[in-house]
Amino acid sequence: MRLSKSFFKKLFRRKITIIGAVILVIIISMALLSPLIAPYDPMKINPIDRLQKPNSTHWFGTDNFGRDIFSRIIYGARITVLSGFGVVIFSIVFGVILGSLSGYFDTLGMFIMRIIDVVMAFPPIMLALALVAILGQGLINVIVAVGAVYLTRTARITYGLTLKIRKDAFVEAAVAEGAGNGRVLFLHIIPNLISPIIVQATFTFAFALLQMAALDFLGVGIPPQIPSWGNMLSSSQDYITRAPWLLLFPGIFIVITVLSFNLFGDALRDRLDPKFKDEL
Amino acid sequence: MLAYTFRRLLTIIPTLLIASILIFSFMHLMPGDPAAVMLGTNATPEQVEKLRVQLGLDRPIYVQFATWLQEAFRGDLGDSIFFQSPVLSVIQNRAETSIFVATFSMLIILILGIPIGVISAVKYNTLLDQLTMGFAMLAASIPTFWLGLNLMILFSVNLDWLPSSGFPSVLESGNLNNLKYLILPCITLAAPNSALIIRLTRSSMLDVMKEEYVKTARAKGLKESIVILKHIFRNAIISIVSALGFTFIALLSGTVVTETVFSLPGVGRLVVQSVLRRDYPVIQGIIFVVVILYVFINLLTDLSYAFLDPRISYE
Amino acid sequence: MRKNVTLILLLAFLLIGSSMVMAQEKGGTLRFAMIDTPPSLDQQVITSDLATIIAQHIFEGLYTFNSEYAPVPMLASGSEVSDDGKLVTINLREGVTFHNGNEMTSEDVVASLERWGEFGVRGPVLFEHIDKVEANGKYSVNLYFSEAFSPWKSMLAFINGGPVILPKEIMENANEQPISPQEYIGTGPYQFNEWNTGRYISLTRYEDYAMREEESDGFAGQRISYLDELRFIPVPETGTRVNGVKAGDYDYAQRMQGDMYESLKEDERVEVLVNQGAQFGELFFNQKEGLMTNTKLRQAVLAALDMEPVLQAAHGHPDLWDQNGSIMPEGTIWYSEAGIEKYSQGDPELARKLAEEAGYNNERIRFMTTTSYQTMYDSCVVIAQQLSEAGFNIDLQIYDWATVATRRNDPAVWDFFYTWHGFVPDPILYTFLSPTYPGWWDTPEKRNLVGQFTKTMDQEKRTEIWSQLQEQIYNYVPIAKTGDTYTYDITSPSVKGFGQTSLIWPKFWNVWIE
Repeated sequence: MRLSKSFFKKLFRRKITIIGAVILVIIISMALLSPLIAPYDPMKINPIDRLQKPNSTHWFGTDNFGRDIFSRIIYGARITVLSGFGVVIFSIVFGVILGSLSGYFDTLGMFIMRIIDVVMAFPPIMLALALVAILGQGLINVIVAVGAVYLTRTARITYGLTLKIRKDAFVEAAVAEGAGNGRVLFLHIIPNLISPIIVQATFTFAFALLQMAALDFLGVGIPPQIPSWGNMLSSSQDYITRAPWLLLFPGIFIVITVLSFNLFGDALRDRLDPKFKDEL
Repeated sequence: MLAYTFRRLLTIIPTLLIASILIFSFMHLMPGDPAAVMLGTNATPEQVEKLRVQLGLDRPIYVQFATWLQEAFRGDLGDSIFFQSPVLSVIQNRAETSIFVATFSMLIILILGIPIGVISAVKYNTLLDQLTMGFAMLAASIPTFWLGLNLMILFSVNLDWLPSSGFPSVLESGNLNNLKYLILPCITLAAPNSALIIRLTRSSMLDVMKEEYVKTARAKGLKESIVILKHIFRNAIISIVSALGFTFIALLSGTVVTETVFSLPGVGRLVVQSVLRRDYPVIQGIIFVVVILYVFINLLTDLSYAFLDPRISYE
Repeated sequence: MRKNVTLILLLAFLLIGSSMVMAQEKGGTLRFAMIDTPPSLDQQVITSDLATIIAQHIFEGLYTFNSEYAPVPMLASGSEVSDDGKLVTINLREGVTFHNGNEMTSEDVVASLERWGEFGVRGPVLFEHIDKVEANGKYSVNLYFSEAFSPWKSMLAFINGGPVILPKEIMENANEQPISPQEYIGTGPYQFNEWNTGRYISLTRYEDYAMREEESDGFAGQRISYLDELRFIPVPETGTRVNGVKAGDYDYAQRMQGDMYESLKEDERVEVLVNQGAQFGELFFNQKEGLMTNTKLRQAVLAALDMEPVLQAAHGHPDLWDQNGSIMPEGTIWYSEAGIEKYSQGDPELARKLAEEAGYNNERIRFMTTTSYQTMYDSCVVIAQQLSEAGFNIDLQIYDWATVATRRNDPAVWDFFYTWHGFVPDPILYTFLSPTYPGWWDTPEKRNLVGQFTKTMDQEKRTEIWSQLQEQIYNYVPIAKTGDTYTYDITSPSVKGFGQTSLIWPKFWNVWIE
């Protein structure tokens, strides 16, 4: 990817993309600086203050344990961003390895892609549910379970791109010059996959946040004592008539975070080499 | 065409075989014990062990797999551990809700998504287009369960217009009024998926618009509406149809969450309950049925290309 | 038959006279919205509470419980126990008929007890102590015990998974499988009418019901069937059950959710009924392996806990929980205050001191719980917090219930876990008294007390021994009770005869619709 000045200029041509970028910066700073921003300990239980409406001491109100929602949202950004990155890294690393190898070696490709196709026929949430049940509830395990779902998509895309690039003149030239498989794969093919993969990563991040929130909601996501936004929503459903603010704030934060990633991904894709556009 | 269909049908067999191996290994890697769940919180280890033997859970895994596979290909998916009745009838009992929810949501997606996408493409880069795209982007960024809970607060709790949960059967009671229980769930499920179809319709329309033959048609002085419908839409529809298989999977995935939010007696919720109960035969059965459906829908999609585009033929 | 109907009418008349304002009417169908469909109504082999709610109208046992949960005769008229406690003779009431019209005799009772003893869920626990059951004439049965076993009466009275009496022809052919609906023939005030799969289960009045004459008290005494039909309809969704009662589609709906309690209480379209059968939360300490084998450390944990916030965070409205340290709920014959000064101390300083004496050095303590039941998890969050504040290094490990139920059998992987215990009529049925139940409480003192407890026939002495056991629980701390919690149901205001609370299993005799 050519990170020139004009690239950024074009990327941020639309105002909405700038808004998206600003929100992302805010969320990421919330995640990094949580202890400095949060007014209360997010885990501190205080039964006397339970289910308080938003007010001047508790900006977003308190939950059924009397914990401060605002502080939990701030710390929630940390978990949410961290787990999102976890899924992206897991799915991209393994997806690219499987996808490019399958695209490069035909027989292996047939075998791996066959399995990946079958796995893709499983509804993502059912797959993630089953994987969490197998691995047990835990932050890393949920990342792996959701990562596995998106791994298949990344692998499929990488596979398609690799097939395409393999036939490009420069790759064929390198092969003709006697370059080994590893060299061709790592020096010629994978570097050319980077920009579409970054775009894919942005969307994966957005989808992964939604998927993990859904798992949290079903009670099989990140362990419930960790204040992820999804977990906060999950425990709010018992109080929707009495304490709707429990539902409101974490939801809004999920929506704007996912939205910013989507906006950002869209802008990146528009700037992308048109050769790859069809695949994404 | 017939030969092609037959060849495609044959490839289903290895797919199902791989799927069933994957499903079965998933199930048996899960820790936990259905017998312990069935007996509740006060069961003693001796009672659990007795029930395990009764349920045949103490047999080796490969024996269980072989038995299951043999019967699955004869159309018998075994018995539910929890309900003590055939998996197929357990699924059948819950199927009505899920079929209704998925079908109505699909209709909403098609009836709203495609026209809005077409209009957006025709009005490319106008304010209308940008607003539509903004909304679509927003809809795709909302967690479905959160949307559902908000709709429930607004329309059931505050306005008291629609019921908040449950679904009394329409087929059994013949009471079409019960369909009102499905309005909120269907909107919830359709929203994010409509957004995807809007975006897809728009972008494929835009792609086709760049083609030479569209310019030629316009140059020939054909009416704009005819150009849009006959030349552009006709060609753009192929990529939309090809996305329907994935939309279907997305909807099924969505029913898991939506049915849980609205406490609907459907297959999606059954999946969650069965995972928690470790009712392996039911989970296996549902995923197996879903994979079969998926494979057939993909086949139908591929076959429909031939009708939609005369240039494609299968030999 | 005539005689019985007249009797019913006479009694009804008397009741009308005594209450003046309340007019009981005969007739009507009660539509009961239940959470699920029970697997079967065979009481002997099924422990589902739902099955009991329905089946208790059809089947009766030799004994039943009064409102204090003391066992009193139902189909029995009385009993004699030999001095060594090894021979129990139960006399039967004469003139009791089954729904097939035949009179119940000792042969039916023997066949029913034998089937339950061999295949019933709770039967083997009693029959471990019984050598033989024998008819002694037409209206009397002998139970020969191998040694004195005092809980026999409670166990005969507990009909959930218990010894209900059916005709000999059915019982002799029955095994561990539930009997079929055609065989649902009992002696109760209602008889089985129809099982329309997936839609409803219907019972109708049994006109020849042989009623007891004592005034109604808990499950005991008169059972007057005002209602013509009881219809049990599965409505799994809470929201639908609530709306159904409000709209008049159902007369009774089971198992509401905690959050709705206040709004339902204020709603004029429904009446709220708190269920008397208390459940209680309990922490089980691993006494076989690891840190918690240290008694001092268990005492330290107990000292740190303040149960009020634990109960409040999980159960909300104070009507739905009791901060009660007696293992058996208040109002039962087993209520005791022995040792309860150690319950809910909420004293982190004392906890620290005890932990120090125990030699605790900030080692990781594995606390296992589940999210499968929201209230369980909510309680555990507060418990974990209180323990951390008292200086314990708590590692809260969360699994779904299926996993917890398996993992808890392995003493190497946990230090304590949390679960519920349902209501039991006799303390002998508590799981924690079993030395094989995870936690593995098995000290000589306990074995001695449990031994005495099962051998003593005199109720007062038994209550006394139970008090000593409870004291042991607070000193030795094999478990820690958090408190009693209650579920609640709703009814339409036109259904009368319940009072303020329902029994563990809501019953619909002595209930009428206005």
